Amino acid sequence: MSMLKNIQEDFKQYLSQANESDAFVQLRKQAFVEFEKLGFPTTKHEEWKYTNLKGITERDFLATCETHQSAKAVFNSSIYASMQAHKLVFVNGTLSNELSEVKDIEAGVLIGTLAKNRTSHEAIFKNHFGKYAKVEGEAMNALNTALLSDGAMIYVPTDHLVSKPILILNIADATQQNVLAQPRNLIVVEANASATIVEVYLSTGANASFTNCVNEVYVGANAHLEHYKIQQQVGESYQNNYTQLFQEGNTTINHVTLTLEGTMVRNNLHFYMNGEQCNSVLYGLYITDHKQHVDNHTRVDHAKPNCFSDEKYKGVLKDQSTAVFNGKILVHLDAQKTNAYQRNQNILLSDEATVNTKPQLEIFADDVKCTHGATIGQLDEEPLFYLRSRGIPEREAKKILLNAFADDIAEKIKIPELVALLEQQIDAKL
Amino acid sequence: MAEELDIIDQVVSQEYKYGFTTNIEMETAPKGLNEDIVKFISAKKKEPEWMLEYRLKAYRHWLTLPEPTWQNFQYPPVNYQDIIYYAAPKEKVKLNSLDEVDPELLKTFEKLGISLSEQKRLTGVAVDAVFDSVSIATTFKDQLKEKGIIFCSMSEAVHEHPELVKKYLSSVVPHTDNYFAALNSAVFSDGSFVYIPKGVRCPMELSTYFRINAENTGQFERTLIVADEGSYVSYLEGCTAPMRDENQLHAAVVELVALENAEIKYSTVQNWYPGDKDGNGGIYNFVTKRGICLGNHSKISWTQVETGSAITWKYPSCILKGDYSVGEFFSVAVTNNMQQADTGTKMIHLGKNTKSRIVSKGISAGKSHNTYRGLVRVNKKAEKARNYTQCDSMLIGDRCGAHTFPYIEVSNPTAMVEHEASTSKIGEDQIFYCNQRGIGTEEAISLIVNGFCREVLNQLPMEFAVEAQKLLAVSLEGSVG
Repeated sequence: MSMLKNIQEDFKQYLSQANESDAFVQLRKQAFVEFEKLGFPTTKHEEWKYTNLKGITERDFLATCETHQSAKAVFNSSIYASMQAHKLVFVNGTLSNELSEVKDIEAGVLIGTLAKNRTSHEAIFKNHFGKYAKVEGEAMNALNTALLSDGAMIYVPTDHLVSKPILILNIADATQQNVLAQPRNLIVVEANASATIVEVYLSTGANASFTNCVNEVYVGANAHLEHYKIQQQVGESYQNNYTQLFQEGNTTINHVTLTLEGTMVRNNLHFYMNGEQCNSVLYGLYITDHKQHVDNHTRVDHAKPNCFSDEKYKGVLKDQSTAVFNGKILVHLDAQKTNAYQRNQNILLSDEATVNTKPQLEIFADDVKCTHGATIGQLDEEPLFYLRSRGIPEREAKKILLNAFADDIAEKIKIPELVALLEQQIDAKL
Repeated sequence: MAEELDIIDQVVSQEYKYGFTTNIEMETAPKGLNEDIVKFISAKKKEPEWMLEYRLKAYRHWLTLPEPTWQNFQYPPVNYQDIIYYAAPKEKVKLNSLDEVDPELLKTFEKLGISLSEQKRLTGVAVDAVFDSVSIATTFKDQLKEKGIIFCSMSEAVHEHPELVKKYLSSVVPHTDNYFAALNSAVFSDGSFVYIPKGVRCPMELSTYFRINAENTGQFERTLIVADEGSYVSYLEGCTAPMRDENQLHAAVVELVALENAEIKYSTVQNWYPGDKDGNGGIYNFVTKRGICLGNHSKISWTQVETGSAITWKYPSCILKGDYSVGEFFSVAVTNNMQQADTGTKMIHLGKNTKSRIVSKGISAGKSHNTYRGLVRVNKKAEKARNYTQCDSMLIGDRCGAHTFPYIEVSNPTAMVEHEASTSKIGEDQIFYCNQRGIGTEEAISLIVNGFCREVLNQLPMEFAVEAQKLLAVSLEGSVG
């Protein structure tokens, strides 16, 4: 049986139990129609030119809420168990009460799940859910909307500051069978508020997992958001991650994506600047080996004048791994005085690694400063020689150089545990 | 600022200077496209059987293809059954000298400022003038013959050098390559054929002037240039078309083959009718251009100055197959009013130590959109490949767009690939600097734009560089200066 059949059956089953008068159910129905119309994206689709989902969609993945002890073990052995944070842990798309921990939050702040708070915080849900991550023309979004299991719902009201990081941790538990998880997170940070979100993906089990995740983030005027995405799914794991950030005026967002593991990871990161004086940082690092395939698609919409965006994605590739980067900067009509930077830098460590990169600009205003660039090359011979001539072994020298290469990404991470994790991963991958 | 706007207005309202039609009786095929038309064209040209078969094969393949939709511009659907696929001036006598050419034709060329006789006398350029579909006159043919160089129309080449045509035609751009290449392969009317023998350095710049004249005629040119071992050739192509209300389709194919140590330099100045300021009419320039560096140490260099056409859609490309081969692409694309351009290049690195360089300058004014789309691919075996890409855009006015879509695909770790791009508007401080020194705004703009494009213009042969500079000044006159 193929994944499509499973999905169709899942949806039929869902409908048989759903309350038709619920607007949410209607939304899902529309999304499903859209998904069936579009089908899974193929490599004929310009946005999916370098990433083939065929290997996944022709296989059997089952949505399940069964969890096992191994998920707990994975969590406890990770750095996140001891991290000072509000924790929401989802296993195969459903909340694990045992592992989650949310305490001492201020009145008005919501750190919970969509399933529980969708009706109690109806106004927020209605105003924001499905408003940013559109289903039209986006098959994977439509699929998530139609069949999403659960996810975090975070609300930070006006003038509030959540000082502890909020951890949204997803574990794909494939101990028993191939699993399909479809988490969906809704994050709303109102005007003058501030929050730090850490989104983590882990996995366990000998079977394959496919995580199709959608994040919608709204950042109100003058607000600040720190957003980290850490992808560490080991084993045979596939992930499609769609993140849409909607910014009002005077906001600052600092976003870092670290892709450390995963058989196939596809990230779609989309910033939309809906006000003036926005400041956005999009940084990313991918370290790949074996047959890993990492695809980063980003898009920054400069819809209003006087905004600034700074994008930098760096990659280190080993073995037969493949990396794809597609950065798109769109400067809308009359978005004058836009200032946008985009860089993609790759280091190939083996003969068989491949990089496909496409730094793209679309500009409809004349008074703008936009630069983009891409480089692909090897580790520089000269500094390597310099270090080795001073008695540093080759492996150590390479490590120093790669750490230096990753340094400007690490600089943007303000949580020390994550910086340490990054260094440790560079070491391990060598 | 007010002055700037004035200038923009002026430029926008500028009429196409080359709009006139020549009244020459034309022999045309009936409208539409089917196997009979393909056979008709082939029969008209008295082509051998293998050529007709090739055309039919291409035509049948074309039928199976959908029209591409990935481009970054919109155009109304083209009715392929509403095009005349063959038009030839009726008086078709083989001409030996310019004196025998129809004086009407010569006048047309003179209006364009490329008087054949003038050029013949003064510049020593051998011109193979293509008036619609049939080559009218070929100058300097005898002189080239002495060196063993073959420079003739494609239809002549099919008859006189079938072995060369058979060997190289469609070897770089197969009929299966894309929609428009398939169409061209089926119905191509004429074009130029150049063969430079081993070790010969072509003593003069070869040149073709294309001109679309008859109403509703699609122009389907086919050019093939083969440079044998150790040879060198520089080829110029210039295009103008008179004013027409309906859009005219131009789907040409150009193939270049460079063998060991050979070098081909191909320069284009394209100034076809861009349509009026509301976007009515104009030429659709959908061209497939590709060269292959077959031998080691060979080199292909494309230079283009694109100022005309309602839509320009082409990617002159290089396949760097031989070791140490070099590919270059220099481009200036200027769009104004409602013009659209989606142009760039492809550099496919297959051989070891291959190098490529891309310099693209896009200038958009009015409500036009200018897109750079380029591919740099380094295959697994292309050790130590090197690429440098630079694409700069300049925007004049706030209703135009500049877009960049660079594709970079690298599968070899020893490759060094760099891409740099910038977008800017014409600097107020630069204009101010000039004004301060007594240079008028208009002149200042022309200075700045010429400076912006200098790197590319420098690549053009002398005669063309002058014309290109004039063209730039004309199409942007006042747009900022």
